[in-house]
Amino acid sequence: MAPLRRSSTLRLTGLLCLSFLVFFSRGFASHDVVSEKSSGTIQEDSHSQANSTAHKKTFPVLSFNYEHVRTPFEISLWILLALFMKLGFHIIPTVSHIVPESCLLIFVGLLVGGIIKATGEQPPVLDSNLFFLYLLPPIILDAGYFLPMRSFTENIGTILMFAVVGTLWNVFFIGGMMYAVCQIDAAELAHVDLLSCLLFGSIISAVDPVSVLAVFEEIHINELLHILVFGESLLNDAVTVVLYHLFKEFAHEQTITVTGAILGVISFFVVSLGGVMVGVIYGIVGAFTSRFTSYSRVIEPLFVFLYSYMAYLSAEIFHLSGIMSLIACGVIMRPYVEANISHKSYTTVKYFLKMWSSVSDTLIFIFLGVSTVAGPHTWNWIFVIFTVIFCLVSRVLGVIGLTAFINKFRIVKLTKKDQFIIAYGGLRGAIAFSLGFLLDNDEIKNLFLTAIITVIFFTVFVQGMTIRPLVELLAVKKKKESKESINEEIHTQFLDHLLTGIEDICGHYGHHHWKDKLNRFNKTYVKRWLIAGERSTEPQLISFYNKMELKQAMMMVESGSAAKLPTIVSTVSIRNVPTKGAPKPSRAISKSREEEIRRLLRANLQKTRQRLRSYSRYELLNDPLEDNISEARFRKQREMERRMSHYLTVPANRQETPPVRKVFFQPEHKVYTYDDSESPRGRASPSCADDVSELKETPEKPDQSSTPRANRDAELKPKEQDDQGDQLKVSRCLSDPGPNPEDDEDSTFLP
Amino acid sequence: MGSRASRLLREEEIEEIKKETGFSHSQITRLYSRFTSLDKGENGTLSREDFQRIPELAINPLGDRIINAFFPEGEDQVNFRGFMRTLAHFRPIEDNEKNKNPSATEPLNSRTNKLLFAFRLYDLDRDDKISRDELLQVLRMMVGVNISDEQLGSIADRTIQEADTNGDSCISFNEFIKASFVVNIHICTVVLVLVNI
Repeated sequence: MAPLRRSSTLRLTGLLCLSFLVFFSRGFASHDVVSEKSSGTIQEDSHSQANSTAHKKTFPVLSFNYEHVRTPFEISLWILLALFMKLGFHIIPTVSHIVPESCLLIFVGLLVGGIIKATGEQPPVLDSNLFFLYLLPPIILDAGYFLPMRSFTENIGTILMFAVVGTLWNVFFIGGMMYAVCQIDAAELAHVDLLSCLLFGSIISAVDPVSVLAVFEEIHINELLHILVFGESLLNDAVTVVLYHLFKEFAHEQTITVTGAILGVISFFVVSLGGVMVGVIYGIVGAFTSRFTSYSRVIEPLFVFLYSYMAYLSAEIFHLSGIMSLIACGVIMRPYVEANISHKSYTTVKYFLKMWSSVSDTLIFIFLGVSTVAGPHTWNWIFVIFTVIFCLVSRVLGVIGLTAFINKFRIVKLTKKDQFIIAYGGLRGAIAFSLGFLLDNDEIKNLFLTAIITVIFFTVFVQGMTIRPLVELLAVKKKKESKESINEEIHTQFLDHLLTGIEDICGHYGHHHWKDKLNRFNKTYVKRWLIAGERSTEPQLISFYNKMELKQAMMMVESGSAAKLPTIVSTVSIRNVPTKGAPKPSRAISKSREEEIRRLLRANLQKTRQRLRSYSRYELLNDPLEDNISEARFRKQREMERRMSHYLTVPANRQETPPVRKVFFQPEHKVYTYDDSESPRGRASPSCADDVSELKETPEKPDQSSTPRANRDAELKPKEQDDQGDQLKVSRCLSDPGPNPEDDEDSTFLP
Repeated sequence: MGSRASRLLREEEIEEIKKETGFSHSQITRLYSRFTSLDKGENGTLSREDFQRIPELAINPLGDRIINAFFPEGEDQVNFRGFMRTLAHFRPIEDNEKNKNPSATEPLNSRTNKLLFAFRLYDLDRDDKISRDELLQVLRMMVGVNISDEQLGSIADRTIQEADTNGDSCISFNEFIKASFVVNIHICTVVLVLVNI
């Protein structure tokens, strides 16, 4: 019952939002009137003021000036609409199981466009500038930054074949066939010439990364297919850009010259390789910059974003492939930046990218729907239907033909099922629409736009909706939920070395040989320049292991339980500090048993503390030392845990002082250290401040129990010195290091 | 070939090797020419020094172990047959394996044999278990000299902890297969592709 009620409440809220938006859009129309009135009154006022002070004008207590906040206000409203829609689809899960989110969003866009149109307004159209400069880059950056490099490079040949040859085939097939269709008298399309058809073909044939991402994300298909289709959608941008400009020029000139064609081919290489080079340059500069960002950690994520965005824009300046530039920048920058930036910055980068790409993608689909309602349409049955048919046919033929050729060179052949999914996953999307929108304004443009929109709708709705049941039906392999394991990493590296060795014995310079050479080059030269500090010589296995340990430690912190002893011992030993007292983990007890024991101990220990507390309340304090300590410690632990979980999600403080003191809860656990300097100063309540100060070795603030504190400090001091080194290490891994690390540690830190 | 007094490969030998290992004719001849170029002593067999003369193998962390894998137990020379037999592990897996005679022995390049080959590279003393020390040795080779023993020890402990299901703190072959399950895919796909010349 409750979910139903919730869902109906939400529908109500949704309707309310929509109505608000409608009223505001009505407000846009009437704002002119209002602003005129207000400006009129202002003029009047100033006039009267200038003239004489005899006129008593009323001071405007409340005035309405919508004009000057109009643009950001509208933008915010649209984004809010997008976010509410996204939220709504997840709260009401019934529909979103059948229909992919992109379809629902287009539908919402259609609704909103319809409402706006019904009120007599002109709905906004997806402006190509807005799309290419603001909406597309976040999605591409998100995709490129988190591109699974291993599977991408393993399949790069196949991906390039599909992207380049496949798209070329699509363009010429569709262009040619549509020209043939236009020759049919019944179609009344004689005015569409060959070049325009080819131009149309170049717009419509590219697989769209936004749509592919949106649909494939929900079906969790196996990594190979995902990377094939997605990689193709990314890399065909170069082809699209070249062909689009080429045919546009030709259509302008109305002639095709041989030199033009040759220049086109050259231009393709320039566009793609140039784009990649621009991305690589920005990536290297970005990686180099991140080497020095330890002095100001809060702005680290911005470097990542800005360098990537600049790479995109710089490529666009020269009409190079912006998408390839963005991907190249993200891919190059990532390993070095991740070694340099702090963990919090890494999390920030990750979440901001996800957030922006999510908002972008939602907005794109909504605007697509709105633009459909808005745009002038020239509906020609024959043209549209044949476009859809030929898109499908050419895609299928292209995939089958290319796979037959590619399978000769592949180790893992592509099966018929794989081919079907690749063909079916060739979705068109907003890029095609925006490119079409950029065409010169004439009658053909509307014809093309209508056809493009129909194809987009068809692919997104029909193919998007049916791909999930088809995947189930064909029993296509789903994505394996692979846990990150150290075993896997070791074995992968082991196999890499093994196969490189075998290749060398055979004298065969294959895939592994070159990969090994690249890795060696990277290790000896590049890493030294681009990674700060000791991390530059850290082997990949060690950094992988550190990352895993850190993740586990953070999970422990957030779940509020004490970390396992063996793990902490290993974390400690990683820091390369001679730990005198660190015991070797006992192999006898299994993991789960240890956890059980720990839980039992903790529960019992807490009971002990509580018993002490209640004891102290009803009876005279026999041992004031004991009571205060345990109570204070208990309070502190709770406080530290609370702050720790806050701490890991709030951005770092602006001022970062070197770590002042270490704190620990129970000497026998040696689990946490807490870096005082990192305490979120804004939210420290007075009691917390007291707690923290209590534990300082040299007390700065007086507090109630000075004697117990001194005694306790004495008792804790020897232990503290022992663990000082490693405690600080653990804290270091969980916090940002200050600009001046203390002398007794090495400068190792973890992202 | 030419003035060198190298033994030419006879057709019957090529056929035999083809049957045993599954390599194609051209691949066998190509590998034979590689074999002879490595065989500086020109006695039809390779010794460990011949392998070590390959420059890239010297910098490979697993170089020694790979070389050892070519030599059968206790021997110091390997002839062409043995050479091919070891290399046969790295051929792509054939899909028509299922059609083969079920009583015939498993081909050298089956999935299990590939994994067994890799397993044996870890397990030097051939006791069918990867102990902590053997794992440490492999890690040490892969990671270099800058990492302390304790760090490696904790990685080794963690690895065994993850993979060990029966609690004997060693990794048996079955546990090895399960632990590197995702890597199973890799060992099947990342095999040597000998381009037919």
